[in-house]
Amino acid sequence: MLLREVEYARPSSVDEAIRLLAANEGARALAGGQTLVNVMKARAASPDVLVDLNSLDELREISVSGETLQLGAMATYTRIMASSEVDVSRPILAEVAAQIADVQVRNRGTIGGNICSNDPTNHLPPLLVALGASMTIRGADGERTVAANEFFLGVYMTAVGEGELLLSVSVPAAANAADGFASVTIGRDGTCIANAAASLAGGAARVVLGCVDAVPILLEPAGTDEESIRQAVAAASLEPPSDVHASAEYRRHLAGVCAVRAVQQATERGR
Amino acid sequence: MSQPSLSRSIAVEVNGEVYEREVDARRLLVHFIRDDLDLTGTHVGCDTGNCGACTIHLDGQAVKSCMVLAVQADGSKLRTVEGLAPSDDQLSPLQQSFSAHHALQCGYCTPGMLMSASALLEQNPRPTEEEARKAIQGNICRCTGYVNIVEAIVSTGASA
Amino acid sequence: MSTTETSTTAAPTELQKGHIGQSIPRKEDKRLVQGQGIFFDDVRRHGMGYVHFVRSPHAHAKILSIDVSAALELDGVYGTLTGDEVAIQTDPFFEMSTPPGANIKDYALAVGRVRFMGEPVAAVVARTRELARDAAELVEVEYEPLDVLVDARESVKDETVMHDDAGSNVVWSGVFDWGDWEAAKAEADHIVKIDELHFHRFSSTPLECSGALVEYEKASGQWTLHCNHQMPGVGAIWMAPSLRTGIDKLRFITRDIGGGFGNKICLHPYYVTLCLLARKLNRPVNWTEWRTDQHTANAHGNERWFHDVEVAVKSDGTMLGFNVKALDDCGAFPRYEPLGCIIWAQVTAGCYGWRNIRVDFTQVTTNKSPVSPNRGYSRMQHLWLTERIIDIVATELDLDRVEIRKRNYVKTEQMPYETPNGCVYDSGDYARCLDIALDLIGYDTIEERRAEAAARGKLLGFGIGSTLDSGTNNFGQSQMLNPELQFSGNNEAATVKLDIFGELVVTLGTVPQGQGHETTASQVVADIVGCSPDQVNVRQGHDTFFNSNAGFSGTYASQFAVTGLGAVKGAADALRAEMIQLAAAVLQCEEGQIELADGFARIKDGPAEAALPFMALGAIVNANNAFLPPDFNPTLNHRFVYRPYFGPVDVEKKMGKLTLTYSTQIHACVLEVDRETGVVEIVDYAAVDDCGVRIHPQIVEGQVHGATAHAIGAALHEEFIYDEDGQLLTSNFYDYHVPHALDVPALKTSAIESPSPFTPLGSKGMGEGGGGGIHCIGSAIQDALKPVGKPIVYDSCNPYHRVWSMLQDPERTRANVEVVPA
Repeated sequence: MLLREVEYARPSSVDEAIRLLAANEGARALAGGQTLVNVMKARAASPDVLVDLNSLDELREISVSGETLQLGAMATYTRIMASSEVDVSRPILAEVAAQIADVQVRNRGTIGGNICSNDPTNHLPPLLVALGASMTIRGADGERTVAANEFFLGVYMTAVGEGELLLSVSVPAAANAADGFASVTIGRDGTCIANAAASLAGGAARVVLGCVDAVPILLEPAGTDEESIRQAVAAASLEPPSDVHASAEYRRHLAGVCAVRAVQQATERGR
Repeated sequence: MSQPSLSRSIAVEVNGEVYEREVDARRLLVHFIRDDLDLTGTHVGCDTGNCGACTIHLDGQAVKSCMVLAVQADGSKLRTVEGLAPSDDQLSPLQQSFSAHHALQCGYCTPGMLMSASALLEQNPRPTEEEARKAIQGNICRCTGYVNIVEAIVSTGASA
Repeated sequence: MSTTETSTTAAPTELQKGHIGQSIPRKEDKRLVQGQGIFFDDVRRHGMGYVHFVRSPHAHAKILSIDVSAALELDGVYGTLTGDEVAIQTDPFFEMSTPPGANIKDYALAVGRVRFMGEPVAAVVARTRELARDAAELVEVEYEPLDVLVDARESVKDETVMHDDAGSNVVWSGVFDWGDWEAAKAEADHIVKIDELHFHRFSSTPLECSGALVEYEKASGQWTLHCNHQMPGVGAIWMAPSLRTGIDKLRFITRDIGGGFGNKICLHPYYVTLCLLARKLNRPVNWTEWRTDQHTANAHGNERWFHDVEVAVKSDGTMLGFNVKALDDCGAFPRYEPLGCIIWAQVTAGCYGWRNIRVDFTQVTTNKSPVSPNRGYSRMQHLWLTERIIDIVATELDLDRVEIRKRNYVKTEQMPYETPNGCVYDSGDYARCLDIALDLIGYDTIEERRAEAAARGKLLGFGIGSTLDSGTNNFGQSQMLNPELQFSGNNEAATVKLDIFGELVVTLGTVPQGQGHETTASQVVADIVGCSPDQVNVRQGHDTFFNSNAGFSGTYASQFAVTGLGAVKGAADALRAEMIQLAAAVLQCEEGQIELADGFARIKDGPAEAALPFMALGAIVNANNAFLPPDFNPTLNHRFVYRPYFGPVDVEKKMGKLTLTYSTQIHACVLEVDRETGVVEIVDYAAVDDCGVRIHPQIVEGQVHGATAHAIGAALHEEFIYDEDGQLLTSNFYDYHVPHALDVPALKTSAIESPSPFTPLGSKGMGEGGGGGIHCIGSAIQDALKPVGKPIVYDSCNPYHRVWSMLQDPERTRANVEVVPA
């Protein structure tokens, strides 16, 4: 509770938001606030200026054009869960969004906030890497697109630079995609201790591990059978963090279990 | 272009009444509701957004008011626990059901529980037990073990 | 007002069961569901300042200097307080221990040295909450770190000493030796040995954190604390001498309290700081504790190690006794301790008939948050030991866990049963409760379910937790720790009056935090005086200036249904007698002809007009009394102090009646363990409760639910974990995972009623639950893992990683146990 002093602005257009971010040193974009406000309550971070994106309705849109599902950075988890576009083009997104925190957090929290905060225990970073998503970022110099596996740079660090704004996330549309997600959480619905996402196509698997490193770990196993998955996890020589919920050894083991389960789920979905 | 500022003048409608206040940008919505508007039914049970005691409706959606800044609520319609009963003497069916099923002991989590549960019932008037549990998964109760809360919610739906 | 102070030992009076025993709507609910409850933080005063504490980042360090000047310069800051001022203006809090513990100096703020992370070293007051925190960040404190003790097994060696005044980390130690352990050992066929068991550190974490709004009145030198202290009488005993003032200068007011569970008993250091600030700044001050603060620096439950356990068992499973070394970790300061070094002795024998028990008990300090009573206080730790013993013995000797319990349970026909240490179990039928619990979890199909689960890759197990909830303390047990202490017995007060308009008004000495006292007290009064509970107004909350209270008043230790309602009954009985007397005088008949019913005093079978509504009685005495004879002075206003009779304790042998009643809880559960991950899922859960006569069955069941949820959380996830530097790693609800709605299974409950022969209403205190779920889940995990190398559950908390470790290396846990032929 009890934040440090902070300045606040609520731009009414994306361009204005970007100008505000560029013009104010120590400015940060405020999306759903379900991570950032918490961090500010602990005074673990204290931006000088908050640029609130909540008036930017154009960033909330979810649309499908051709082979691409595009999710605005300000699309909330609740909106993703209810979206018919998501349902017909990449339903795993809604399924995983439904596993994040709780109703209240899902009503405010956004896909953009989730991936820009890049907490290693978050659900969406490994999922989006597995799905081969790409992120559209705009700054003063224009727009660029970054592939998901190049987007995450470190704990709480992403490709979105100073003065830039994440606009949207694009995911290949595939209604019957063989996607899977598995996690071990503290209790039925607490923080993830380990998680993994998988997406299968043409006999190949993209398996991505969360919670084991600063960024999601992409594995491309030789096959989709359990043995191949386990080998790929072993070959990754994971050095996950130890904390009160899991030793490095246990977390490494769980990463393997989650990977296998995510692939199993994906395999079943793909049938 | 809007200029960043340390405080703002805001107008919010809470339970049908409009309040205009000058508020620091850093003030959390929950402190604004409790300390500035004196609506003390909304509670604080943690400082990390886990407990849900501060749950209110912001433009019809259940949110935790400790994870929203007061300035962000400018122009919004809020509903707090004080706005649930049709009148001081008459409880809503959900409130009645909470009492009938002994869904509260100390009553501290109750306002947040009621706000989460009423948001559920507005969207899903006849929830199952599992749906009721999911609707309050972001609300911690340390007295009841949730058993009677879940019953109270499900039975409100069943008799709706 | 007439005062009746009576000891109550007579057999309970026959009460008509009218409202008693009914689950009537709770009086508390209407305000609480409307958000109209009044919690301490809802109280406002003109010009009040907000307090923020400056807390130590170190677990153990010398304070070299504190500089508050930058904080004082900040606009909106009203003032500060530091340990140096506290040391001058107050005396250290009273310690209950004998030396060395007695020599510990505990002040409201750290003086010269910090001994746990989060310990307050200074306090700042400002115009807003945010400013107070800003200013607290500007206070500069220079520390010199010292060696840190986080493990009681290290503390006890005294290589580093935390309190120089004490000269030792040992707070208290003593040996309890009942029956004849050596003879039991000789008689046994087997001695089962367990090297080490660990009961972990957690707390009930009430959803409302602690706090207070404190006002100081210069003219009278009186402080008013709008607060959430759950035992203000005892709070005042600590605070008044420390503040060098009289107890009557401290007025505690509580209205609604957002849960307590014992965690709001040791608030005196914080409250003394607030009193000093209110006086220094001459303005009301509010302190609201935040969750992270509460986890870091307030009210953990006692952590306890059990070493060198030896159990004497006959071949047929008859348990003769046990011998154990207990090492209790009370954190940085004793505060309510060393009472925990004796409280467990109320349930020395647990549910079992063993007669020879030896416990070598030591309590030490560590550089962790001080402990405080926590739901199941001290007995839960010991009961966990007894249940672990039973399960480990059953596993090692290949005995049936149900059969060994039934063989050794105290039998219903033995009640009242005197334990080896002189306690008296008043009533109960443990075996019957167990049968009901087993039925509820479908025990007869357990082996089929085990096989079915195995086919899914799951390990299924069932467990039993048998516990006692001892209630109505005899504070005389404190003299077994320190014979100089002037505490013994127990008491509680209440007043009941008939007001001018016919309303019954009740004030309680208790300080409820959700237990429904307004409701249950109204049921008792209504049945005694013959009216509806709606006609009875039980005043909300507690005000030490205006509520009747006695020395041990408060809400703690599972006793309201005995002490609180005993006082209400005594006062209502006196009122009833006087109402009858008055009605007979007015209606000019014999007292025996008067009945009180439906809100009237009337002549039995008399004409309709021979009836006085309560309003008439109230009006006569209060406002229209000129015609009453000179020698007849009814007050219709009665205070009663209920005092249970215990008799003296034997301080030498450490024997005596330590508590008045024993509720029973038998829990049983079925759970599944994911073999690959160690994830535990509870699939079936039953709790059977016997608390004698239930005044309000729904409230009783609610307490059972709550205690069970606490136990489930504690058994699987909740633990205050420190690193080697004494940094708390689980300071919030992310890392300290309390059960969410999805974590608690649909609980099955049942109850039997074995009335207590010792209490006014046949009721027994209940609510703490003795940690039944902790014992039961540990038992079920050990059962589930049995096919994978028979690991032994050695810790009371078994999160997934620990279960997984047991699966990986069962032998490591098995090295902990040994069966030796006697």
